Amino acid sequence: MMVFEFTSEGPKGNIAKIIKFSETALEGYYNLAFGDQDFESGELDDLAISNNEDSERVLATVISAGFSFTDFYENAWVYATGSTQSRTRLYRMGIAKYIDEAQKDFLIFGLRDGEWEEFEKNFDYTAFVVHRK
Amino acid sequence: MKTIQELNEKKIPIVRIDKSLEKYKSLPVFQEKLDKANKVLLSVGPPKIKNLK
Repeated sequence: MMVFEFTSEGPKGNIAKIIKFSETALEGYYNLAFGDQDFESGELDDLAISNNEDSERVLATVISAGFSFTDFYENAWVYATGSTQSRTRLYRMGIAKYIDEAQKDFLIFGLRDGEWEEFEKNFDYTAFVVHRK
Repeated sequence: MKTIQELNEKKIPIVRIDKSLEKYKSLPVFQEKLDKANKVLLSVGPPKIKNLK
């Protein structure tokens, strides 16, 4: 239960996406990464810009994979950051939008000025860690 | 059988186990991102839970 596959559906067609939770060097912490899957080569690209007009749905799907993952690995901490600054900002906005709902189920921290702090709206973070309550 | 409403209210998605995805478990996909995560996590460490409001 560490790799998930889903399909982005939109004007650009169906795009296969892969989400992978990988063990990190810090025990109990897993890195969350996701990207597009090239059907022909099978390679994965976390910098691909799909422009499939479903970024919010894609983000919601990644979060729901996080639910499944932390259901299975209930003590896991999940580390996430965007592949680019603008994507990290997009994730921050996505978390901020649903923070009240998300905090019912998860502890959420953001990395700011080299320190973890409890996630708050309107702050820029360079990375996030979440843990199922 | 669950209704659509019940399914939509579930937070945990319905996942189908697909053995073909096992190949990605051992493949070093998204390795660059994992390397960066390791660097950050090892230098910053885990969050301090007692700081929670």
